Amino acid sequence: MSAAPPDNDVLWARGIVKSHHGTPALRGISIGVREGEVLAVTGPRGSGKSTLLGCLSALLPVDKGEVWFNSAPVHTLTRAGRERLRRDRFGFVGSEPHLVPELSARENVALPLLLAGAGNKAAYTAADEWLERLDVGEIARQRPDRLVQSQRQRIAVARALAPLPPVVFADDPTAPLHREAADQVLRILTSASRSHQLTLVLATHDPELVRFADRAVALVDGRLTAPAAPVRRAPAAPGTAGASTVSATRR
Amino acid sequence: MFYLRLARGYRVPDLGRWLLTALASAVVAAFLLRSLGRAMSEQTGGAVPVVRLVWCLPPLAAVAWFAAVAARAVPAQRPARIAGLTAAGASSGRIRSLIAGEVALACTLGSVLTLLLFLVLRNDIAGPSLAPDLGMGAPLPAAAPVTLLALVPITAGIAAACAVPIAETLPGGRRTSRTGFSSLRIALPIGLAVVGLALELIALRPGAAEDGRPVHLPAGLGTTSVAAFGGWAASALGLALLTGPLLSWTGRLLALGRPTPLRLLAGRGLTAQARRLGAPLAVLTLVVAVVLTTIRYWIGTPDSADALPAVEACLVLGCAAAAVAARLAEVRTDRRDVTDALLRLGTSPRLLFGAVALRTLAVGTTLLVTGGATAALAAAGLR
Repeated sequence: MSAAPPDNDVLWARGIVKSHHGTPALRGISIGVREGEVLAVTGPRGSGKSTLLGCLSALLPVDKGEVWFNSAPVHTLTRAGRERLRRDRFGFVGSEPHLVPELSARENVALPLLLAGAGNKAAYTAADEWLERLDVGEIARQRPDRLVQSQRQRIAVARALAPLPPVVFADDPTAPLHREAADQVLRILTSASRSHQLTLVLATHDPELVRFADRAVALVDGRLTAPAAPVRRAPAAPGTAGASTVSATRR
Repeated sequence: MFYLRLARGYRVPDLGRWLLTALASAVVAAFLLRSLGRAMSEQTGGAVPVVRLVWCLPPLAAVAWFAAVAARAVPAQRPARIAGLTAAGASSGRIRSLIAGEVALACTLGSVLTLLLFLVLRNDIAGPSLAPDLGMGAPLPAAAPVTLLALVPITAGIAAACAVPIAETLPGGRRTSRTGFSSLRIALPIGLAVVGLALELIALRPGAAEDGRPVHLPAGLGTTSVAAFGGWAASALGLALLTGPLLSWTGRLLALGRPTPLRLLAGRGLTAQARRLGAPLAVLTLVVAVVLTTIRYWIGTPDSADALPAVEACLVLGCAAAAVAARLAEVRTDRRDVTDALLRLGTSPRLLFGAVALRTLAVGTTLLVTGGATAALAAAGLR
């Protein structure tokens, strides 16, 4: 546990403890996320991945410990301050799409931009662009309840990426998807992170998906089991090199 | 016994629903027993006792309406309980009968309390002013009050059972709710309202006073013509049926053009909920319009006010308002996911509150228009 974090850590936490109604979820976690990297947080169900992402993304207040974003404290922020931070700096994709059912796909994607005060035209242009990139451009004007789950999840990914936030949190974003769609969504998330220098924190229960990350940490019962293991950056065609990187992380 | 175990987990809204059902059914039972008492003490026969019984139907319908709306809201409000029962093997029919049984139990309790009061008062306690209403002096056939009072729990229970939505068998399964209105659903109320308006205008034309036999209105409202009454009834029904589509259009109007997030959320939300909010709000608007018109007539015409219709109006009004409250609670719990998603995006609670306020304002304006039109037509028909 270093006293001062490295300068290139965009987000770091020290000794965070969090429990849900007495059930401990995180028991003292220290972690640093470097700018522009893809960090995978792996672990089985109930290991505290979602809680860790919630604490890092200012969704949940921590019980103990510190969270810093860009050298500014997050753990001392008020509720309004955390809302502002989430709206202006963070994007979030959950395992459920959580779209607003009465809004069309493009309105859902444009909503974070509109909330942040962007103009109508800019917001909808960005929304159309991201929907196009995620192969759901042709259903942009449909409402979520007419779409299948994989389309809804792509819309949720587009919504998180459209404002180009410095940090994107993805909490098991591939849970509702088939393998092919899951690979595509993860490729788009990671390539967006690389092309736009976004930091991506990816929680997943599937150790196979670690091949998309630059670095991986494993979480068991609310504790980090191993120090962050470096993972080789996935090459353009992950199918061929996937096995070797996975075996590298399992050392 | 099983039901009593479930009732131990009750919170304030459940208790309020229970008590309100019991209270309303007690009042309906009082109306029914009064008509029985009158029939026993007058012994005239003919149409008068039947008409008196028929006038117990609006409060009975109001209780059934409230029971139905409240029962529909139960699964949405207590998802954990329904999921637990389903996981324990209870079929959707079992859950349906459980909720209906709960409503019937509350109604039975209210009715039995009224019956006890009725029997105690009959025992020479009531003064001479109440004697004819209680049928004092005449022997009470045991089957009559039991039959009458069984009417309340049976009606409310059946209404509740029919209203409980069939549960999704898969936990977390989403039901897709339709939001639009078919063209027939829009054309029919418009046609009704227009035909009704035309009928009423014909009835109100100068020199129409000699048209046919006058209709005697209840509650001391004097007389009117058949055409005026029929015209008002048709247009009121049309306006009530039109409330849902009107709310949907109001929502579209709110989100017209290039909406800000506030207008977008308020407008689209209203359009999506118009189907569900339309019915209870339409009933409430209709009841309020009728009651206000009646009160205005009573104030304008001396010695026309009547105590019993006033009590009846209070009961119907209370049930209609409680039904709206139950539906609002249902919509609110149903949208908890959406609210969470919006908060997660960083939407400020102030914006969400503003959207609700704007939506309420829009709904209020729409209802003011339909309710005002209904009341104006009713006031014009009364002479």
